[in-house]
Amino acid sequence: MPNYSSQKAYTFKMGPRQKLWGAIFLIIILAFLAGLVDWPKGPEPVIGGIRREIKIHLGLDLQGGTHLVYQADVADIPAKDQGSAVEGVRDVIERRVNVFGVSEPIVQTAKVGEVWRVIVELPGVTDVGEAIQMIGETPLLEFKEYDPNAQTELTSEQRYEMESYNTDAKKRAEEILQAIKKEPARFSEIAQEKSEDPVSKEKGGELGWFARGQMVPEFEEAVFEGLEVGEVTQALIQTDFGYHIIKKNDERSIATGSFEVEGQEPQELGGNREVNASHILIRTKSVNDYIKFEDQWKYTGLTGKQLETSRVEFGQNTGAAEVSLLFNDEGKDLFAKITEQNVGNQVGIFLDGFPVSLPTVQEKIPNGKARITGTFNLTEAKELAMRLNAGALPVPINLVSQQNIGPSLGKISVEKSFLAGIIGILLIALFMIIYYRLPGLLAVLALGVYGLLVLALFKLIPVTLTLAGVAGFILSIGMAVDANVLIFERMKEELRAGKPLDLAIHEGFKRAWTSIRDGNISTLITCFILYWFGTSMIRGFGLTLGLGIIVSMFSAILITKTFLKVFERVDIGWLWGVKRNENTRL
Amino acid sequence: MLNIIQNRKTYFTISSILVALSIASLLIWGLVPAIDFTGGTLMEIEFNTEPIPNIQEIRNLFIVNKDTQVSKEELGEVRVQPIGEKGMLFRFKPISEDTHQEILTLLHENFNPDYPTTTATTTPNVILPIEELKYESIGPVIGQELQKKTTWAIAMVAVCIILYIAWAFRKVSKPVQSWKYGIGAIVALGHDIIIVAGIFSVLGRFAGVEIDVLFVTALLTILGYSVNDTIVVYDRTRENLHRYQGFDFEDIVNRSVNETIVRSLNTSITTLLVLFSVYLFGGASIRNFVLALICGAFVGTYSSIFIASPLLVVWQKLRRR
Repeated sequence: MPNYSSQKAYTFKMGPRQKLWGAIFLIIILAFLAGLVDWPKGPEPVIGGIRREIKIHLGLDLQGGTHLVYQADVADIPAKDQGSAVEGVRDVIERRVNVFGVSEPIVQTAKVGEVWRVIVELPGVTDVGEAIQMIGETPLLEFKEYDPNAQTELTSEQRYEMESYNTDAKKRAEEILQAIKKEPARFSEIAQEKSEDPVSKEKGGELGWFARGQMVPEFEEAVFEGLEVGEVTQALIQTDFGYHIIKKNDERSIATGSFEVEGQEPQELGGNREVNASHILIRTKSVNDYIKFEDQWKYTGLTGKQLETSRVEFGQNTGAAEVSLLFNDEGKDLFAKITEQNVGNQVGIFLDGFPVSLPTVQEKIPNGKARITGTFNLTEAKELAMRLNAGALPVPINLVSQQNIGPSLGKISVEKSFLAGIIGILLIALFMIIYYRLPGLLAVLALGVYGLLVLALFKLIPVTLTLAGVAGFILSIGMAVDANVLIFERMKEELRAGKPLDLAIHEGFKRAWTSIRDGNISTLITCFILYWFGTSMIRGFGLTLGLGIIVSMFSAILITKTFLKVFERVDIGWLWGVKRNENTRL
Repeated sequence: MLNIIQNRKTYFTISSILVALSIASLLIWGLVPAIDFTGGTLMEIEFNTEPIPNIQEIRNLFIVNKDTQVSKEELGEVRVQPIGEKGMLFRFKPISEDTHQEILTLLHENFNPDYPTTTATTTPNVILPIEELKYESIGPVIGQELQKKTTWAIAMVAVCIILYIAWAFRKVSKPVQSWKYGIGAIVALGHDIIIVAGIFSVLGRFAGVEIDVLFVTALLTILGYSVNDTIVVYDRTRENLHRYQGFDFEDIVNRSVNETIVRSLNTSITTLLVLFSVYLFGGASIRNFVLALICGAFVGTYSSIFIASPLLVVWQKLRRR
C-alpha cells in the first residue's frame, strides 16, 4: 500500500498498476458504502442533529393509498396573489393531513395553464371518504370589503325577464286556483304535482303545526284571520317567495308562554292558537335572484391564511358566544389597512362563501384582532373556532380526480415485481457468462456494483418508487448491459485482429465509448422530457431510467474497465471467448 | 457477410406492409382510450362472498335500484368486467365522492346480510364481503390536459433527437449530410411507433386493451430505445467512413451493419429476457406496458438494422442521380 500522506512531499508518481489498485480500492469502498445504505436495517446517519431515516420510498401503487387532485377556484383573486393563495391552501391541507396522522404525506401545488391545482398523496390511507372529509371540511374564511363597482340595479333586460317570469307565474297560479276551487278534495294531489316548494311538495303541501311568528306576515294573516278549518283561500296570497294557495287543515289551542331559541332573545308567542295548514307555492323571481348579496363584496387579500389563532369568547354586553380571531404579522398589517380604508363602512366576514357577520368599522384596528359575531350557539362557536385553528382555506377547492389503491393490491405488486426483477437479472447474468465467459462474469460483477449504487441513489435522493419507476430501473439494467456488450464486441474484434490483450481492452473501450455516449444521451433526452412533462407516474419512470443510465455509463467505463484490466495479463483465448489467430488482420 | 443493404427492397416491402396494416387498423378501429384520457371512474372490487354475484346481478344493482341517489344519468353507461376469480371491474362516468360512498354502501348492503352491524373500516377482524382494491375517478378536464401534454412530449422528443443526431454526426457530412442520419433515425422510430400502436389497436379491438398513461410512457421509451439502437449502427458507419475512404458507400454501410449485428441482437436478447420475465411474473397492472416495450424492443432492433441504414444508401443514390 502506498503511503498516501507522503505523496506530496516526495512527488510520488503512481504507475499504471498502482492506479489500477487505487481504482479497485475506490470501487470496493463505493460498493461497501452503497451496500450500507442499501441494507434494510442500515445505519441512520445523524446529520446536523437530525436523525434521517434512509429507506426506499414506495409510491402509492406499491403500498396502497390515496391520490387526490384538487382544483383551486382563484377566479376572485387578482392574478398576482393567486400563487400565494394556493400556497396557503397547500399549507392548510398539510396541517390538516398531519393532524390526520398520515406518514409521509405529499401535498404539492401545480399550475397547469391558467389552472391551479393542489395534489395530495396519502400513503397508507385507504378510507378515502374520511380523508376527503377531513380535507374538504376545512372552512373557507374571507374578509371582504364592499365593492363600489358591483351591480346594484337590474339591467332593463333582467327587469323584463323578471317581470315576464312573474306574470307567467301568476297566470299558472290562477289556473291552479281555479282547478282547486272546482275540486277542493284534490288539493294534496295537485300540490304534489304542481307545488314549487320542495319541502312540502312530497307531503301534499302539508306544513305541519305552527303558531304565529313562524311564517311571513301575509301568510299568517291569511291562515289565522281569513280561513276557517277545511277552507281553501279564494284568492292568491302573494309573499316574497311567490303565490300561495293555502288550505287550513286544523286548529288547536296551546298554552301561552315564551318560545326560546338558544342564543336568541326569548320571543313572545302571538295568541294562543296553533294551526295546521297546507299550501301550494308557485315561485316568483325577485331582485335577489339576479343580484346576489355575496357578489357585492370584493377580495381584500385577508383570508384564513393569515390567521394565527381563534378562540371562543362571550360578548361583554350580550353574553352571546363569539369567535375571536388573532392574525399574524402579515394579517395584522392587512387588517389595519382594510379597517383604515373602510371607517364607517361594513367589512364582511364570509365563511364558506356566506356572510356570517357584517360589522361596521368604527376606527382603524392596528392590533390584528377581529371577532365574528353571528347567530350561533356555544357548540357551533366552539366547532368553528376549532376548525379555524386547524386552518381556514384562503380559496375554495374542488376535488377533480381521485385514485385509491387498496393495500393488498400494492403488496401483490411489490412481491411480483421484485420476483420478476430477480428472475430477469439472473437470466441476464446467465446469458452474459455463457456468451462472453470471463468478461461476462466481470460484467455481472460490475452490474452488481451498479445495482448497489443505483439503489443507494434511490434511497438517498430519495426517489419515490412506483410500478413504472421499477420498470424504468429494470430497463436501465438492460441499458447497462448494452454498454458492456458494446465494449466486449469491440474488444473481441480487436483480439481477432491479433492485437495483444491489454491493447485490445484499451481500444475496445475507446471505440465503444462514442456509441455508448451518443446512444445514452438520446435516451437521456427522452428521460428529461418525460420528467419535465409527465405526471407523477411517468416522472418516476423518467427519473429512475435517467439515473440508471447515468450510473450505467459510469459503471461501464470505470468499473467494468478496471475489472478487465486486473485480468489483462491472463491471456488465455478461451476465457475471452476468442480464437486467437495471429494472421487475421484487417 | 450478410447482404443486408443489397436486399433492402425485401425489408422495405415487409416494413411497408406492416406499417400500412397498422395505419389501416388505427384508422378503422383506432385506439381504446382509458379513463386517463377521457375522464371517468374505474372501480375494482374483490368479493369475499361465496359464490360471487354474477355480472347481471351487479348490473341490475347499479341500474335498476331506485331507492338510492345513484342514478343512471349520473353513472352513464356502466361497464362490468370480471377480473380473476373473485374480482370485478366497473367503469362509468366521473362521479363525486358522495356517490362513490353510496355505491360502496349499496354493494355492502346487498352482499352482506349483517350490514350495517359490520361496517367497512371500524371492525378490523371481520372479513368484509367486499374489498375495494382500486378506485380512480378522473375529471374530463384532466384527461384532455393529459392528451395535450402527451402529444407535446412525443413531438418534443422527436425534435430534440433529430437535433442531437445532426449535431453528433456533424463531422460526417459526405456523402450523406448529417441531418439525414437524424431523419433516418426518426423514420425508423416512426416505423416502430406506428407498428406498436397498430398492434395495440388490434388488441384494443379484439381484447379490449386500453391505452393509458403507461402506454404513452412505453411509446416514449421505445423512442429512446430505438434511437439508441440506430445510433450504434450509424456510429460504426461514421467510423468506417474514415477508415475506408474511397470505398463504395453501400459496401461501407453494409459492412457496418454486419459488424454491429451481433451486438444489436445480444442487446435485444438481454433486454427481452428482462421484459419477458417482468411480463410473465410481474404485476398485472404493468403487463400491457411491458407488452408494448417488448413489441418496441423487437421492431426497434429490426428497424435499426434493416431500415435505418439502408435508408442512408437510398438517399446517397438519389442524390447521385
